Amino acid sequence: MNARPRIQATGVVESLLVFLAIMALWWLASHQEWVSKVFLPTPEATLASLKEGLSDGALVGNSVDTINRMLLGWLLASLFGIALGAMIGISATARAWLQPTLEFIRPLPASAIMPLAISIFGLNASMVLFVVAFGSMWPVLLATVHGFATVQPRLREVADALQMSRTMFSWKIALPSAMPDILAGMRLSMTVSLIIAVVGEMIASQSGLGQAVLLAARSFRASELFAGVVLLGAIGFAANALLALAERKLLRWQRP
Amino acid sequence: MPILSFNDVTIHLGGREILSPTRFEVEKGEFISIIGPSGCGKTTLLRAAAGFVTPSGGSVSRQGKVITGPSREVAFVFQDYGRALLPWRTVEGNISLALEAAGVPAGQRAARISKVLETVGLAAHAGKFPTQLSGGMQQRVQIARCLAQEPELLMMDEPFGALDAMTRESLQDELLRLVREQGLTVLFVTHDLEEAIYLGDRVIALRSNPTPQQPSLAAVIDVTIPHPRDQLSTKEHPDFLRLRRDLYHYLGHD
Amino acid sequence: MLATLLRWLRPFVFPAILIGAFELYTRRVAAYSDTLAPPSAAVRAFVDALFQGDILSATGFTLMSAGIGLALAFVAGAGLGIVLGLSPRAARMSFFSIEVFRPIPSVALIPLAMLVFGFGVSMEVSVVAFATFWPILILTQAAARQVEPILLEVSQALQLSYFQQVWKITLPSMLPRLFVALRQGVAIALVVAVTVEIVANPHGMGYAIMIAQQSMEPALMLAWLFWIGIVGYVVNELALLLQRCMAQRMGGRP
Repeated sequence: MNARPRIQATGVVESLLVFLAIMALWWLASHQEWVSKVFLPTPEATLASLKEGLSDGALVGNSVDTINRMLLGWLLASLFGIALGAMIGISATARAWLQPTLEFIRPLPASAIMPLAISIFGLNASMVLFVVAFGSMWPVLLATVHGFATVQPRLREVADALQMSRTMFSWKIALPSAMPDILAGMRLSMTVSLIIAVVGEMIASQSGLGQAVLLAARSFRASELFAGVVLLGAIGFAANALLALAERKLLRWQRP
Repeated sequence: MPILSFNDVTIHLGGREILSPTRFEVEKGEFISIIGPSGCGKTTLLRAAAGFVTPSGGSVSRQGKVITGPSREVAFVFQDYGRALLPWRTVEGNISLALEAAGVPAGQRAARISKVLETVGLAAHAGKFPTQLSGGMQQRVQIARCLAQEPELLMMDEPFGALDAMTRESLQDELLRLVREQGLTVLFVTHDLEEAIYLGDRVIALRSNPTPQQPSLAAVIDVTIPHPRDQLSTKEHPDFLRLRRDLYHYLGHD
Repeated sequence: MLATLLRWLRPFVFPAILIGAFELYTRRVAAYSDTLAPPSAAVRAFVDALFQGDILSATGFTLMSAGIGLALAFVAGAGLGIVLGLSPRAARMSFFSIEVFRPIPSVALIPLAMLVFGFGVSMEVSVVAFATFWPILILTQAAARQVEPILLEVSQALQLSYFQQVWKITLPSMLPRLFVALRQGVAIALVVAVTVEIVANPHGMGYAIMIAQQSMEPALMLAWLFWIGIVGYVVNELALLLQRCMAQRMGGRP
């Protein structure tokens, strides 16, 4: 099938061309001022702000702060989420009593916890970290509960037939079986932790890209605003891509 | 002493009597085929023998001791091999599971795994994942895992039911060879009458909806066909045809 | 009878214990705190706010903004999704652009929306629309692309025109999944709307809860927290109900 590689290459090229067309449209719109320059900076201005911010370290520092917040919160969330989720998911009794409460918390916006957290911690970095961890715990926890709850019942019988201890069953059968769900939950968690980190920075004036973008808006510096948004998009993309890669490697057995 | 005895085993499920008091004995090294129409309780009987189900009345004894639950002496082969194997482990890993559960030290596992793989003829596929194997091969992996337990008894619940005819026949012959080699006692549930006669030393026929006049245990018949058995000549043996005729109506065809 | 009553009550046992413990804690340990309040006080504060009309107006604002944003995103996202799903070429061409814009967190656009629209409905609607557009697009595209291939073969055998095929086969078979996309959109729309209000927009439930905290009214803040949870739960359950009804009507899997 020699034709296949060529078709794939044209697909990529076409895709890039469409993207460049959109960029050209942006260039045109900003230069022709179809939208005021206060709202829509030119692509060059955005690029210049990006370069400036990266070279003088301001944007780098902000990015690092946001990433740290996001990662730390996500790690904490994953740790607690998987541990709690495993305990709840593996026991049908626990699930029966607790699942309705979990289902009630599922739709709750994590940012709604922020006022309560502010009351307890004050307007500081710990508050933001708490909300990031608390908010992004739920996708992992719920996914873990689901993963452990849906272990093949047949495997439970196999374990009984082999006289496997409950601990061994949890580690060698339940956990690997739940892994696809857990990893998907962790990926969703990461998106949530980025969002809450940014929200927290905006509300509590903590150093980070969230605050940078907010300040840029307040001072009507559109190109800096856009530069910050670009970086946040890049972080979101990179985080998701890395996790997707890790997921594929860990779940290689699904597509051997 | 019989290796397994059913002492008036009664099983109620969902308010109904699935199995009326049933009594029979299995000697060591015997291959018992169990047949019957759907809902006659043959799978339930097998699971009671393996210790998954506690009888509502009576008991099952192994080597004279009453069974209270599953044990490593009894290996169970499920029909749905896809669900009984760990998809994230290779063939080797799946067999290793039995040894890990039994607490066999890591150093000794490799040798036992390769021995068992040789026995079922899967040595060349040790590093593959279950999804890379055909149905017949997956079932052989499950059988291999059961053999790794070094059990006395092998319980098989319609193990070849989900496979195509050709695979089924080759696995039947492999099973016979294996069982002879290892001196295993086997209880084999199937809805395939010919399979039951081909494999078994004795055939047990069960009835569904038992009544006091017509209890669950309809018949226990000796298979007088000699070993070794073969797919062509055995099925033309006069005793095979006679048994097939006699047992036909036990499958609920009337 | 008693058993069903107990089973109906069971979901409330754990929350009741939590709330009860919290009530005790706030009454004894944090008696005169300006940061925490007992749930009983929160109920009182809620009833007061309800009679003052604050609850209804704020809830109405949030639901309205979320609803309008979702509607806009649904029309655009489902529309584009259908086109991309039906045309592999268009899907390939748009792939890069979508993957570039999709990862932008919607909250990052709150300051921009603030800049462009000021405070009010438009600002919130625009952020909600951006956030819900992408999942709806992706899900609709997948639904359009994954029409049961056998049905497409049937349409070829019946010699249906392209338009007939889209209208009679593709769109109806997509309908259940469109409602799945809608349900997901509902969940995201509400969360984003509340978040926008918490960060910037001085309207709606998010704003109300922030103000309650800032004015040191912990009882009211707790009331709002609980109320936001209830609204979210109810709205999601309604969307789920709608999705299931549609799936049943269309005979597909829910």
